[in-house]
Amino acid sequence: MTEPKKRRGCLGCSFPILIIILVIFLALTIVGFLSGAIGQEMLQKYGIDITFPSWMTIEKPAPHLPAPELFHVLGLPITNTMIASWITVIVLVIISVIVTRRMKIVPGRLQTLFEALLGWLFDLCKSIAGDANGRRFFPVIATIFLFVFLNAWLSLIPGFGSIETKEYALIPEDAHIETIPAEGNQPEHKVVLIDHKEYEIVDVDGKEMMEKRNELIRGANTDVNTTMALAVISFIFVAYFGFKTLGISWLRQYFNFGPFFRSLGKAFKGKLDFMGIFSGAIDIFVGFLELLGRFITIISFTFRLFGNMTAGEILLLITAFLIPYILALPFYGLELLIGAIQAFIFAGLTLVFVTMAVTPHSEESH
Amino acid sequence: MEADAVRLLAAGLAIGLGAIGPGIGIGILGYGAMQGLARNPEARGPIQTNMMIAIALTEAIGIYALIVAIILALL
Repeated sequence: MTEPKKRRGCLGCSFPILIIILVIFLALTIVGFLSGAIGQEMLQKYGIDITFPSWMTIEKPAPHLPAPELFHVLGLPITNTMIASWITVIVLVIISVIVTRRMKIVPGRLQTLFEALLGWLFDLCKSIAGDANGRRFFPVIATIFLFVFLNAWLSLIPGFGSIETKEYALIPEDAHIETIPAEGNQPEHKVVLIDHKEYEIVDVDGKEMMEKRNELIRGANTDVNTTMALAVISFIFVAYFGFKTLGISWLRQYFNFGPFFRSLGKAFKGKLDFMGIFSGAIDIFVGFLELLGRFITIISFTFRLFGNMTAGEILLLITAFLIPYILALPFYGLELLIGAIQAFIFAGLTLVFVTMAVTPHSEESH
Repeated sequence: MEADAVRLLAAGLAIGLGAIGPGIGIGILGYGAMQGLARNPEARGPIQTNMMIAIALTEAIGIYALIVAIILALL
């Protein structure tokens, strides 16, 4: 007797499970649409009054760029992005210890995953920088890649940016107090405007104080300081290997006085060479531009990573505000992809610059 | 016009005009990559990798414009 064939739906689940998942998704979409900003405006226009409980309403996101300092240790301010980067470092160390604790020749699954990742990075270093140089550059490049990569991916875990610390401060004397009328699902409240930022006024023990809320942890790449530190490290790395391999003549490509003075010297010996003098002068100018360009790559590294990560964070906040629960899903996928690509770009560009710094420049062969 | 109005206008202009260049640039890159892929479908891997690198570098210029817009609008 052949048993009746179970009808398979798509994605390997049977039909009942698929229908349950679709129904839950639809319910979340409708609830999200109604309780978010778009839904509330539409409901107000049509006069339907559905008030949602306070834990389902999402207030307008207020992204602020400078990372707020949470506490001080030995006089140094600790911001919430610093805590996030410590978490990244701890996660990296724990993963490394777990993977290398009992290494086998035929590796288990976790070890295979990290062998594949590090093998891919090593092949990348060797393919761009050559065999011996690739071996030398691999530690720093892999560290930069893993740090930026895990910073970007860990900042998408729920909890980063949603756990907040509250602090109450006295309202300054001449502050500008506004009363915002009730709109949508937010009741009427009073705010204080300081520096274009709104702080809510709450009653604490009968006194009105302003409430400052800061996130506890925020993605580490959204802080200009972190990305600028990485860019400066990459600059020092390139300069160090340039000096170590080529000596002082690494600076020769920047201060390119050679051809100019050689042509001038030839003029004194009787051979007047206008083209030589002219192109020598241009060479000096181009040398200075290259020197300036090297410093500008610090700025460009900083703002590329900072801009991508901050724009991604603001995008996620705003999509979570417009239609909660649903609209943010495709943007989460985009954020994962962008985090990986930006880590690859940072490490890859550093590798290209250090390879260019190490190869000796072929001398002008006029 | 008041300073606040001009500030918001400048933020809009910054990102609006600043996204033209990278948009065109990424389009040209995609065109080149498609042509290369059409001529030589076997070289898909290197073409894709190099296209990704070039696109991320071009996009960075648009991100600089976005930073200026965000700073103008929010700070």
